Amino acid sequence: MKLAIREKTDQAAKLLFRMTGLMVIAILAGIFFMLLWNTVAFFLKIKPWDFITGTQWNPSGTPANYGMLPLLVSTSLVTLGAMCIAIPLGIGTASFLSDYAGRKLKSVLKPAIEMLASVPSVAIGFLDIVVLGPGIASITGQSNGLNALNGAVLLAIMSLPTIITVTQDALEGVPNAYKEASYSVGANRWQTLIQVTIPAAAPGILAAVMLGVGRAIGETMTVLMATGNASAFPKGFFHSVRTMTATIAIEMGEVPYQTTHYYALFAIAAVLFLMTLLVNIVGEYFVNKYRKYQAA
Amino acid sequence: MMKYLLCLLIILLVSCSDAGKFIKVKGSDTEVNLAVSLAENFYKEHPDFSVAISGGGSGLGIASLLNGQTDIANSSRPLNAEEIMLLKTKGIPIRTVIFAEDATAFIVHKDFHLDSIDIATLTKVLNGQYKTWKPVTGQDMPISIYGRQSNSGTHSFISKKLKMEFSRDAKEMNGNAQIVEGIKHDRSGIGYVGAGYILNNGTEQPIKVLKIIAKPGSIAVSPLDIKAIAARRYYFQRPLYQFIPLTSWKKVSAFIDFEKSAAGQKIITTSGYYIILK
Repeated sequence: MKLAIREKTDQAAKLLFRMTGLMVIAILAGIFFMLLWNTVAFFLKIKPWDFITGTQWNPSGTPANYGMLPLLVSTSLVTLGAMCIAIPLGIGTASFLSDYAGRKLKSVLKPAIEMLASVPSVAIGFLDIVVLGPGIASITGQSNGLNALNGAVLLAIMSLPTIITVTQDALEGVPNAYKEASYSVGANRWQTLIQVTIPAAAPGILAAVMLGVGRAIGETMTVLMATGNASAFPKGFFHSVRTMTATIAIEMGEVPYQTTHYYALFAIAAVLFLMTLLVNIVGEYFVNKYRKYQAA
Repeated sequence: MMKYLLCLLIILLVSCSDAGKFIKVKGSDTEVNLAVSLAENFYKEHPDFSVAISGGGSGLGIASLLNGQTDIANSSRPLNAEEIMLLKTKGIPIRTVIFAEDATAFIVHKDFHLDSIDIATLTKVLNGQYKTWKPVTGQDMPISIYGRQSNSGTHSFISKKLKMEFSRDAKEMNGNAQIVEGIKHDRSGIGYVGAGYILNNGTEQPIKVLKIIAKPGSIAVSPLDIKAIAARRYYFQRPLYQFIPLTSWKKVSAFIDFEKSAAGQKIITTSGYYIILK
């Protein structure tokens, strides 16, 4: 009797979890096909090559222009800037947390960093408009702070928690025997960190960086608020730029359904999807590599 | 993110109200504050109605009209040929109401060296022909333009009125309030907002409203000058439209009547907009 009940609950649980699993897959497939469908509809009207290499984005002009290269370059520029700030800062903080910080400090610092990830992006964007933007403007001698650099700083702040936590896990995953061996031949903490621990944790750190990049590419609200959204081809960090995500966000409310402009936004989304997918696959590859290494 | 929240809010509102008395108003960042205060006062007389208002931009209102998602599409520009075509092909007959008039103000930082600007110079500033303020004020500062996204009513109104395309370096801000915020910090910035945003915000903000000289030799007119607006002397003044699908007309007529009543007109004028009797 008891056995029968147990088997039944197991069966029910199996069914339930299979359903939730299938549902997630169905949702993903649905999103993917909707993206694909609308992107194909767009490419029936505009040639893919013109879309990727065109340097004018002006869907409501006459004639309308659908060239996403400025958006692509803007997104890359802002992400690159963010990574230039976030990678050294993130790895440095993670190294401090794993090798230098005392237990008490660590118990305060770690949750604080994780909390940074839970600040809503609108709040960060608002703080930027009021504080950081004008600050950057006065330091760099610009008349305003709505530029790529500003966006990069914000994205760096927002991708730091991911980079720090994953890097720290990687550093702490390095077997103690490595460090002990290094100390035993007379190396100090710094030498051990630079020459032993970090190289040994490299796959994990790379995974952290890729996840950070993925976070930065896909972020919308803060770049929308902070970068100025000028549709001209980006000229550098001190100019207003317009990222792919911000373009979708600005224009999505305004387009009538089933027009070329409407399909164009899906096409941008599809390109964005491919970019983040690629970044995530690379990140995943390194995570797996690091897991195997850790198990050994 | 905001949009989803808004959708959620609307769904919640729909679920707790009588569907027959529920009015959706969408569009026009220029008109949204006015629409909100109109709706608030409308409630006092008609507590059984509920009105959901979201701004965004004229394009958003018209797109919602085409997608069948709104009862009133607020717009600060007339429909363009493509939109009229789309409405026809989709079979959505509409009625147009002009309920107020708005003046578009050009604002600069309060320390800016000019008080007035003529149309020819303004055109060269906005279309990117001038890269710095040197030919205008003598200062060698790069011009930064604060504007709205391309489908905004104000954007297309100015571009049509001045017969030019905006410089591609013009910043596209999310709304009037953000433009004011940008200008407050930027000594070399110029931006355009609905005059309603200036009266409401008072004069204590560090911004200056430029007077506009329509023709060489004519006097400079401020968008805050009620008499000049009534005499149609300000260059950038325009009617504000409401497009209403015929299917919603019966439902919204009480609201439209309220806008035209003495109380409604008082709200319009105290909010910084104008009523012009034809």
